[in-house]
Amino acid sequence: MLKKILLCLLLAIAPGFVRAATDAEARSLLAQAIGAASDDDQIKLTAQLPAAPTLKKGLIAWREGGVYLYDSGAAKIAYILDDATDADGKSKAFRIDTGELLKDPAGKPVLFVSSDLNAVDTSARLRRVIQTALDMLALADPDPQARRSAVMKLGMSQKKAYLALLEARRPLEKDVDVRNALDEAAALINLNDPATQAAAIRQLGDLHSIGSYKLLSTIAENPGSPNVKGARAALKQIDTYISWSNFYGTLFRGLSLGSILLIVALGLAITFGLMGVINMAHGEFIAVGAYATYVVQNVFGAGLALSPFGFSINLPGLNLSGARYDSYFLVSLPVAFLCAALVGLLLERAVIQFLYRRPLESLLATWGVSLVLQQSFRLVFGAANVQVNSPGWLSGNMTFHDVIFGYNRLFVIGFAVVIVIGTWLVLTKTPLGLLIRAVMQKRDMAACIGVRTERVNMMTFALGSGLAGLAGAFLSQIDNTGPSMGQHYIVDCFMTVVVGGVGNIVGAICSALGIGMIDETLQPFIGPVMGKITVLAMIILFLQWRPAGLFVTKSRSLEG
Amino acid sequence: MARLLLSSGFAAVINLKKTHSIDMIKSSRLFGSLLASLAILATPLKSKAAEDTIKVGVLHDLSGTMAISETSLRDILLFAFDEINKKGGVLGKKIEPVIVDPGSDWPTFATLAKRLLEQDKVAVVFGCWTSVSRKSCLPVFEKDNGMLFYPVQYEGEELSKNIFYTAEAVNQQATPAVDYLLEQGKKKFYLVGTDYVYPQTTNLVLLEYLRSKGIPLENIGGGLRKDDSGKVISAGKYTPFGHTDYQQIVADIKQFAASGDACVINTINGDSNVPFFKEIANSGLSAADCPVVSLSLSEDELRSLPTKNLVGELGCWSYFMSLDTAANKKFKANWAEWLKNDAPAEVKKEKRVTCSPMVLSYDGVYLWKAAVEKAKSFDVDKVREVLESGDITFDGPGGKTTVQKNHHVTKNVYVGETKANGQFKILKEFKQVYGEPFLKGTFMKGQ
Repeated sequence: MLKKILLCLLLAIAPGFVRAATDAEARSLLAQAIGAASDDDQIKLTAQLPAAPTLKKGLIAWREGGVYLYDSGAAKIAYILDDATDADGKSKAFRIDTGELLKDPAGKPVLFVSSDLNAVDTSARLRRVIQTALDMLALADPDPQARRSAVMKLGMSQKKAYLALLEARRPLEKDVDVRNALDEAAALINLNDPATQAAAIRQLGDLHSIGSYKLLSTIAENPGSPNVKGARAALKQIDTYISWSNFYGTLFRGLSLGSILLIVALGLAITFGLMGVINMAHGEFIAVGAYATYVVQNVFGAGLALSPFGFSINLPGLNLSGARYDSYFLVSLPVAFLCAALVGLLLERAVIQFLYRRPLESLLATWGVSLVLQQSFRLVFGAANVQVNSPGWLSGNMTFHDVIFGYNRLFVIGFAVVIVIGTWLVLTKTPLGLLIRAVMQKRDMAACIGVRTERVNMMTFALGSGLAGLAGAFLSQIDNTGPSMGQHYIVDCFMTVVVGGVGNIVGAICSALGIGMIDETLQPFIGPVMGKITVLAMIILFLQWRPAGLFVTKSRSLEG
Repeated sequence: MARLLLSSGFAAVINLKKTHSIDMIKSSRLFGSLLASLAILATPLKSKAAEDTIKVGVLHDLSGTMAISETSLRDILLFAFDEINKKGGVLGKKIEPVIVDPGSDWPTFATLAKRLLEQDKVAVVFGCWTSVSRKSCLPVFEKDNGMLFYPVQYEGEELSKNIFYTAEAVNQQATPAVDYLLEQGKKKFYLVGTDYVYPQTTNLVLLEYLRSKGIPLENIGGGLRKDDSGKVISAGKYTPFGHTDYQQIVADIKQFAASGDACVINTINGDSNVPFFKEIANSGLSAADCPVVSLSLSEDELRSLPTKNLVGELGCWSYFMSLDTAANKKFKANWAEWLKNDAPAEVKKEKRVTCSPMVLSYDGVYLWKAAVEKAKSFDVDKVREVLESGDITFDGPGGKTTVQKNHHVTKNVYVGETKANGQFKILKEFKQVYGEPFLKGTFMKGQ
């Protein structure tokens, strides 16, 4: 008792110190276990190891055959090798018992080549014991997700021995998810015991345990079992839960797919919808945005060397890390917008301004431009896709009642809302927007009353292209960034705009969300391949019925 | 669609003209890559004195969608030829590669194969990646009695007397991977792939294999499709080429994996792996709980994937770059040396890796050389007879390879775990696995 009080006191005063003491103890116990003479002794000692996180590395190495013995003359010392190797392929060694660098009797660090060494043997039985020890360790892992999966693993093993361990952990656990997992695991273990089975079944049903579905259905299908009824009820509970969770999940996924369609098509809704330019290079503007993101990412990181057209350009890197590095994505958004807008501007000045009254020629010309752009990407960035890593705050998810809300998916929905509102504000509340609308309605009339239509055309096209660039910046987070990435999206873009009604941004919003929702709803039933075909067939039928799309833009001009 | 047809037709026309021999590529080293093809068109075909060289065909896509993967195979072949030529060639003759580019257009494979065999009269052809390209030129090889070495893992169910498959058969990749997962205590298998012949066939074979191992049907995820008689005609979830939206599939996998003893067998091809793995990573499915073993991702593909999201996922091949053997170290050093000093201008020099398809291509060249030397002739029938004898072996970078009577190759198979640097950590080795192309219906026999 006194010892315990003392320990608590010490813990309060100098946690670091005590931790080190117990760590050292645990380490030497592990070293003893590894050094034990027989397999049985090793198993016995391993089973008694304390759950100290510091043992994790050693245990994993032991199980995977990465622990070696060094004969120092006096004793055999167990050690593991460092992952890093020097130029000769040699790596440093660390002692299991102290965690320090392994030194020879003369006090010099010893270096080894891993292929020259013979690892300590482990039997299958011992490896299982090591695994259990690792599972125990995982119960105290700082990461809740790792803790949760360790708990579930113990539960699924249905071994009575773990029950006490789980219950001991229960009051210490602060995370709600892990606490539920602890309950679920305990119930799973209790499921094996006829005395506690009925209660366990009820609990699993109440916890909506998807993992126990198989076990419960075996009970439900066994006519001899007294708990058939209970198991059926629990299964029904879980079934209902799964279908609700799938329903909301599909809703969310449809919304996120719709948002992606919307952000890629919004730019086209302006250049094609408002201006009437059949812009086949729209996909490549998306790619410009994605590549811009890639460049910004590298500038925030280690820099980038490019060799376009025989020149070599070395972009110096800022070598940032952590949150500052992660902020690259926020910087890349305006950069992507500006780059794509600039390319759009150039295209408009060089090609499209001569083709406003000839839509078919604009189709051919922009298609040519799209091929030129794709080839330029290959020349500048290489034919292979480039890697864009998502910032930390865009990776991961929050899971709510088994519906996964990926952060990047939540982001894209918000992002779509923001750029739609932004575009709407620009078009309706700014002088530029007024001019744009005037020119788009009747170009000649606007010119007559003194609007510089050429400039407005230029700005409108740049705006549409810039929006495509923004879409590209986001797509680089969930998809490939490569020379042909635009090709994947161009069909979807036109589809969305045409279904929505050319010249109508509200229409584009409705059609993007509609297509996304239908696609995601069909997928679980008929698969992605048939789903896609069905969506396209539905669109064809829809356009037969309403050739002008969802929302018809009323126009006084005869040319439409 | 029309657009695709138009552009591929266009590519075919250009590529027909682009047939050239390697010394010409070297002569155009000074020009930029844009000028290179023009220069080649302009230079008349010249060939070295025919007596001391032997022509060998290289039939890989160097443009179009497959170029990313197949260009590496051309490079490794050029390396192997240079290596052999430096040591005196084959039967005293230097190898003269004839490189053609079908431009990722399947019918063009047949046209160019015909051209290689009938016009250039090559002794042997190394080529093809996709099964559809192989199937497209197979009739040509059979009609003209040519010889093709095919190096990329494939679905089996094929055996032509004119093709030697150094490729991994299903029992040299997919089933060893399953064996490893079963050994790890996995009981549920989710099958997902791209919708074409290789994933569909492989998954059907795997379905039989899993059933023979006592895995019940409800433990196989992704769904089954049956025909009217109740026979399973398709197992697993399939997505079109270039698919980007994996939300539903990953949600489905997550539910499937809730019991903690599930894994995923991934035969998704190419680019689509990026959105797939990003979605997996974001959904919180960890490799420790539900590992994904990918049958189409080697080191070469990992170069353009976000490897951060793939750490801990599995791969199964008959060679890994990280293999710690003397043969592999020497091979990698020679390859790096060649890239630095001897490689022609169009071979990319930076960030190069080696991977299983490349090594199997390389092995193929040496196996052919060994057979030619034993037959003392370049004649296709004689070389084939020697290859079929089962005596031809080569100690390649991935271990010993032996050509079998059934035109497949006995070789080692390795299971590896992806690391953050795009390399694999080797977890398990299956020694000298016999390649068996016809697997459908064989697993259940003993039961």
